[in-house]
Amino acid sequence: MKNKLIATTLCAFTAFALTNCGEKAADGGADTPVADDASAAVGGGGSSTGVAGGTQLETELPPELIEGTPKPMNVPGLQPEPKKIRDFYVPEGTELLSTGKTVTSSDDAPIIGELELITDGDKDAGEGYFVELLDESQWVQIDLEAAAEIHAVWVWHFHSQKRAYHDVIVQISDDPEFETGVTTVYNNDYDDSSGMGKGADSPYVETRYGLLVDGLGTKGRYVRLYSNGNTSNDMNHYIEVEVYGKKG
Amino acid sequence: MNAPSNNHLNRRSFLQKTSAGVGAGMVLGAPNILRAAEQASNDDINVALVGFGKQGTVLFDSMKNIPGLRFQAVCDIWDNSRKKALGRIRGLKRGYTATGYSDIDEMLATEKGLDAVVVATPDFWHSPHTVKCLEAGLNVYCEKMMSNTIDGARAMVRAMEKSGKLCQIGHQRRSNPRYRFTLEELIRKKNITGQIVNINGQWNRAVKSSQDISVNPKIVPKDDVLQKYGFKNAHEFMNWRVYRDLSGGPISDLGAHQIDIYNWFLGCSPKSVFASGGNDFFTEREHFDNVMAIFDFDTPQGGVRAFYQVLTTTSAGGGFWESFMGADATVKISEIPSSSAIYRESSAPDWEPLVNAGYLKKRAALAKPKEDSNAVASYASEAPEVYDLPGGFNKPAHQPHLENFFEAVRKNDFKHLTCDARHAFESEAPIYWVNPSALRKEPIVFTEEHLSV
Repeated sequence: MKNKLIATTLCAFTAFALTNCGEKAADGGADTPVADDASAAVGGGGSSTGVAGGTQLETELPPELIEGTPKPMNVPGLQPEPKKIRDFYVPEGTELLSTGKTVTSSDDAPIIGELELITDGDKDAGEGYFVELLDESQWVQIDLEAAAEIHAVWVWHFHSQKRAYHDVIVQISDDPEFETGVTTVYNNDYDDSSGMGKGADSPYVETRYGLLVDGLGTKGRYVRLYSNGNTSNDMNHYIEVEVYGKKG
Repeated sequence: MNAPSNNHLNRRSFLQKTSAGVGAGMVLGAPNILRAAEQASNDDINVALVGFGKQGTVLFDSMKNIPGLRFQAVCDIWDNSRKKALGRIRGLKRGYTATGYSDIDEMLATEKGLDAVVVATPDFWHSPHTVKCLEAGLNVYCEKMMSNTIDGARAMVRAMEKSGKLCQIGHQRRSNPRYRFTLEELIRKKNITGQIVNINGQWNRAVKSSQDISVNPKIVPKDDVLQKYGFKNAHEFMNWRVYRDLSGGPISDLGAHQIDIYNWFLGCSPKSVFASGGNDFFTEREHFDNVMAIFDFDTPQGGVRAFYQVLTTTSAGGGFWESFMGADATVKISEIPSSSAIYRESSAPDWEPLVNAGYLKKRAALAKPKEDSNAVASYASEAPEVYDLPGGFNKPAHQPHLENFFEAVRKNDFKHLTCDARHAFESEAPIYWVNPSALRKEPIVFTEEHLSV
């Protein structure tokens, strides 16, 4: 169990050692297969600038909306909060492929919201714009309906509170079960607590700028995203996921 | 409900405890085994959750860590919130489901065997809901402020005392180990501050954290539902904190946390308040977006003058904290450990014995700035030594206060509560007069009529 704080109470006070809500889970809860492809990467797509000489990728950002009292984020190696969209370039002809596409999940009965919200094009942070999935490691999967050359995956988990999601992993495959031919393009599970291998990417703070992941031109029909709770609570959330690529 | 029940495991801890000694087949079967292990016990406290908005969710995230609670029913007028609550309870995987209601009367008439209710509805519903539950023979934990009106708060005290049931108000710092240790051990027993002469405190919230809450229009309750429950429209429903008929505004939402500590630590009520406030940024809001108030106290040790500010357009100044300034030391305390410290005056008694006994930890001294021949001659006092406050804990902020409530329910012991409705009222009563003082632009000298039930 990481991030456990040591209680420093004195004499009359009991030292507590309960698991905090929002602490990182020690095991993967949902079906979390490890890619059997020996060449599968362990991420690294979170800091790339994309394809040299390409077109700058742009999207419509949601307005900033921060609510309530901030919660502590006790995560090692947390990236500084971005102040603008990262410069990122994709090949000419790259387009948004995910709008309106079918989404499935390891939690087939979300706590609130519907899975369709993830590809509805709305990135607002208010009530009614996000889906909440159960605790422990959970995934959502977007079916692009045909294989594509994927150059970027842009994800907004929940940006109305500063928080960091644990064990964010993004994979691409042609196999809807993600048992074969799996490429991991992003992984910030720094201690392999989700059991899918240690990641090369760094934990980050949720903001309206989202997380922009280099798809590395990986070919595949399905994009699967994992998370394992966050620093504010144990649940998993998605407002929107955008997948950019070239068809065919 | 008879005795504490600590027998339920969550799935994660169960797998951790069993994975070393069982094969894969056993692990695959774990959820079924787990459900058997997590069967609700007859010893559980049966809880209803009334209001499952943002604060109700915060409380639930604490309660789910407390052994022996069984979440039996959920009541919220918004199906979005009801669904969220029921889903969160389902996610606990404890082998039972809760029942959802949109109407509290229907819930109280239908649900049998409830022991306690946790009320986290908008402020203007606190009093009606709490009184209703107490009259139904249930113990109540109700979020602060007690009500949007002082008469609503008075009704809660009367209902608690008439019913004989427990009523805890959600001033969660009253159960916080750091606050309790600081008050009981350092201030009261060790007199570490010497005579407290002044208090300062604040809640400064950034402008981006003070914006209106938006909502997807597709999921807002219908107008007739909103109006039945006192909201004119969806904006009022989502942003009731900025409306005068529905809440006390920032001095109530945020300021009540700190001003409660003033009154609790001094052990008395102020004799007057003089406040100023304005809608200087959020000009369309009914409530002031910033308020500054000065309270005067008469304590057995002498007079105390206490300043408080709540600002909603800046995060500067360290967020939220209370600072008790005595002749020997200043205690600055907050729910955030890094915002807490004790500053020792050079004339104070030696604290070495306290450090050696583990009561305090001295911080490393900051390097002195270099002499600058161009600097204006300074006559400032010597900088005080800085010590860390003890009493950290590894739980969500509200958990100790909820634990205290449920322990009191188990013991059926009113005295076990750290913030029963009467004590909460004594502390909250002066806060109800801050906005009137600011509106009238004149001080209010308290009489028994202002502060009594």
